[in-house]
Amino acid sequence: MLATHGESAKLLAGGQSLVPMMAMRLVRPGWLVDINEIAVLKFVAVEKDVARTGACTRQCVVERDEALAARVPLLRQALKWVGHIQTRNRGTVGGSLAHADPCAELPLVAQVLGARMLLRSAKGARTLEAEKFFSGPMATSARPDECLEEIHWPAWSWRRTGSAFTEISVRHGDFAMVSAAAQVAIDGDGRCVRAAFGVGGAGGTPLAFPKIAARLVGTRLDDAAVSDAAHAAAAETQPGSDLHASAEYRRHLAGVLAARALREARERARSL
Amino acid sequence: MRAMTSFRYIGAKRRAKEHPRFVSGRGRFVADIALPGMKHVALVASPHASARIVSIKIEKALAAPGVLYVLTGEEFCANTDSLAIGVDAPKVTRFALAKDVVRYAGEWVAAVVADSRALAEDAAERIEVEYEPLPHVIDPEAALKADAPLVHPAHGSNLLYHRTFVWGPVEEAFANAEHKIAFRAVWGRSATVPIETFGVAAQWDAGTGILDIWASIQMPKFPDQVARALRFPGNAVRVHHDVDVGGSYGVKRGLKHAVLVGYLTKTLGVPVRFIEDRLENLRGGDMQGPDRFFDMQLAFDTDGAIRAMKIRAVDDVGAYAGRSPFQLGKPVTAICGPYAIGAIEYEPTSVMTNKTPQEAVRGFGQSPTNFAIERAIDRVARHLGMDSIEVRKRNFIRKDQFPYTIPSGSTYDSGDYHAVLDKTLAAIDYGSLVRARDEVRRSGRLAGIGIASCLEPSGGNSAFEVLMNPKNENTTWMDSCLVRVDLSGAITGVINNSSAGQGHESLVSTVLGEILERDPETIRVVRADSLTALPSNSPVGSRMAIMLGGAAAGAAKTIKETLTAIAAHNFECSPEDLEYHDGSVNVKGASSKKFSWDQLVEIAHRKFHKLPPGLEPGLQAKFVWEVPTGGALPTPEGRIQIYPCYAFEAHVVLVEIDPDTGKPMIRRYVCGHDCGVMINPDIVHGMTYGGIAHGIGAALYEKFAYTEDGQLASGTFMDYLIPSAMEVPALAIVDHCTPSPLTTFGQKGSGEAGYLGAPAAIANAVNDALDPLGASIDALPISHLAIWSAIGARKGAAST
Repeated sequence: MLATHGESAKLLAGGQSLVPMMAMRLVRPGWLVDINEIAVLKFVAVEKDVARTGACTRQCVVERDEALAARVPLLRQALKWVGHIQTRNRGTVGGSLAHADPCAELPLVAQVLGARMLLRSAKGARTLEAEKFFSGPMATSARPDECLEEIHWPAWSWRRTGSAFTEISVRHGDFAMVSAAAQVAIDGDGRCVRAAFGVGGAGGTPLAFPKIAARLVGTRLDDAAVSDAAHAAAAETQPGSDLHASAEYRRHLAGVLAARALREARERARSL
Repeated sequence: MRAMTSFRYIGAKRRAKEHPRFVSGRGRFVADIALPGMKHVALVASPHASARIVSIKIEKALAAPGVLYVLTGEEFCANTDSLAIGVDAPKVTRFALAKDVVRYAGEWVAAVVADSRALAEDAAERIEVEYEPLPHVIDPEAALKADAPLVHPAHGSNLLYHRTFVWGPVEEAFANAEHKIAFRAVWGRSATVPIETFGVAAQWDAGTGILDIWASIQMPKFPDQVARALRFPGNAVRVHHDVDVGGSYGVKRGLKHAVLVGYLTKTLGVPVRFIEDRLENLRGGDMQGPDRFFDMQLAFDTDGAIRAMKIRAVDDVGAYAGRSPFQLGKPVTAICGPYAIGAIEYEPTSVMTNKTPQEAVRGFGQSPTNFAIERAIDRVARHLGMDSIEVRKRNFIRKDQFPYTIPSGSTYDSGDYHAVLDKTLAAIDYGSLVRARDEVRRSGRLAGIGIASCLEPSGGNSAFEVLMNPKNENTTWMDSCLVRVDLSGAITGVINNSSAGQGHESLVSTVLGEILERDPETIRVVRADSLTALPSNSPVGSRMAIMLGGAAAGAAKTIKETLTAIAAHNFECSPEDLEYHDGSVNVKGASSKKFSWDQLVEIAHRKFHKLPPGLEPGLQAKFVWEVPTGGALPTPEGRIQIYPCYAFEAHVVLVEIDPDTGKPMIRRYVCGHDCGVMINPDIVHGMTYGGIAHGIGAALYEKFAYTEDGQLASGTFMDYLIPSAMEVPALAIVDHCTPSPLTTFGQKGSGEAGYLGAPAAIANAVNDALDPLGASIDALPISHLAIWSAIGARKGAAST
């Protein structure tokens, strides 16, 4: 269908964004391709250093999966902020990633962890890193004839790995004004062996800061180091303004929330 | 004073009469009205805030599948009359469809009638309208300037209403007072946003010449106004009131919708229904509320006594008038709040801009005014270094001063403001609340306690109409009830309007049961349509407990007197020798010598030979009641009694603010509430909870924001933010009862209280939290961004 109809066809997964946009006549697909009954798109598989989820797996299923939460805890932490229980019962993981709202939670997790997207078309399959997948606000590098099939979430192997997700929105369940996600691993001495963090809502795509995060490796992740990293990251953001938040406010929030996420991730790692 | 315990059903915890049908999904709303062959309407709306309509091409729409008709303003305005204009501004005419010019973005330009709503929407997109944009004005102060673009050039200016009322020696008080303050308080444009948008279905019957209307309404004189606009006699419009209304609190006026659909069904000869979608509702449904700023000045002494207050209120009503300017008039009835302030200057200014027209919202202008007054009280306290509770108590009208006449002419019926505030402070444990606030502050976060008191004027007497429009001499605002006892002895109360969740069936069955001493569970309450109804003014202005309750009681008393008269005639004694008990009438001191309810009912219906002479056969009674204390015209200085009864509330709230993000969180909330005798406490509490949630929205979240281009920037629920269960904290209500001497059972009105006090209390709490930084915010809604900016500005100022 996608190969035949290209841009005029749209995949319908949970419908939590597409259907309201159609109701407002903002999106008018000529063809709707319902993928909700395709069983192979719905699964959670936790392997040695990666967890795989089918693109059409409901957010609530991912949220409740204990094995997944043990290996990629950031997903469950982020999902608590995604809409409400009712929307998570319908909404899918792949739908949220493919929609690519720069304020949405799951794209930020994918960006921070460096998730890989398995895209399939009639011609074959390819894998894209999150960094390459998100190309702009509500835009991805998936071609019109490609369907997101699977998402591969890297699982860190360090025993003392902690992660955290936080965000600020005017009301709980709204799209975040700014969100932040972090994951850190520490050794037996409490020294950072790996760190990753990023912010959402502060640019056209969710942003990860691998170079700034790398500077945390070898530190004890004390508050000053965390704060420096968070503010360095915030300084790199170029957020937009809207009714609820100015660019300046968003940039400030990016620093505050990135620091909070890093500190919370550190505390979790230390507690292990 | 009546004791609450003397009632049998009033005040008792009872399931609402309406619950079974709503809980089991058996409500009947306008979207449930499906008439055979019914057609559906979609609208073309203006994309411009101000423009000339150059041309409208409808051919492609007419050719679209399923399309029956396309109506434009030219045809519509030629065949109908303007909707009523409340104030004296005859050139500010208003029709459902624009003709020649559009005056706000979202204004309806054309209507498409098709087999389904979806087909009508598809066809509406094919209508090509050519516009020539004209200058527009969005800011009310800019609109008042001499060179401003005129929204209605024929009116000559954008000023719709202006008057300066001076009640008492204002200048003298300002000259002699030890202190004065001045500040501006700004109330953002928000509204009640019901789950159900506005909807109307209509059917013209050429055989009978009657236009039947089913609509989601809460609008005084709705049938009369629809008939006038359609140039029909009143008896050609039959409005069915047995339609459940899915929320309103003021906004479900729907006149333009009903006139449009009425015209379409008459023209096309088929039933027509229009139900707004959310985008139409928020942008073009004319349901946005007051949009107002207040320039406040207060004169007071070192001991906290407030001598005088000047209020300049500028209200932006948007592009058309309707009843919205009157929302500056209702506050006259409680212009000094619960305070004994001897001199008041009030300068209401109603101005038009190129925004969506304003409509009535819960409290009818009272909540913004109360916000300004309560911010003023806190500012007086801060200026003097006094506790704001002390300033309130220093100025409260004392319970021994009632009835108390305020400078603008209304007399407050009763109250005990000190007792309610004390009860509220005790319930929240004020001492520990202060310690909790201070502990949060010591931990480096911001926290504040907010207190607000407010009056809920009730009894819905719209005397502000005669105050603000000298050509209007409407001095009655009656309500009515018909009570019938049928041959089986069952009681039916007939009411004359629709309800939007206020529980009128519970109210009337409880009152009838109380007077007639019959179980309210067995009493049915039905709604007359507008051709069979007694005079009514619909449930607005917290009036129904007083007015419908009073009318029902009056009719029930007549039934009781009739039954007693029948017994007296048959016992050949005087009615004074008899007593009424549980529906039977017996001779005093001889309980076995009695006529039972069934016997009396049978005589009334079947045994004319046993009826006293002059008594009508059958058993029914009507009662039409004028608002107590109502009926007069204003004095030349503009003094007038508007509402009869005054409920009182005190709100105490603790707000915590994250200083790094500006995010406010409500930690504690207690509301002390005195609306006299409560007829159904659960309904009163439910409306109060909902009102507080509504007020939280107005205080922190909800705003119809406009861009400089005049576009509504918050036209969906992604940007117009209604508080959810996550934003509304646990609420506690503390009851107090000061009965009204003016009403049947001592009841006062309720339903607005939570909304009247919450915005002021929350604003005061946020300002208490910001006070250690020396920052303040006097504009609602107080967004996260505004709080963060205020914190940042002060921090910046401190570091330079």
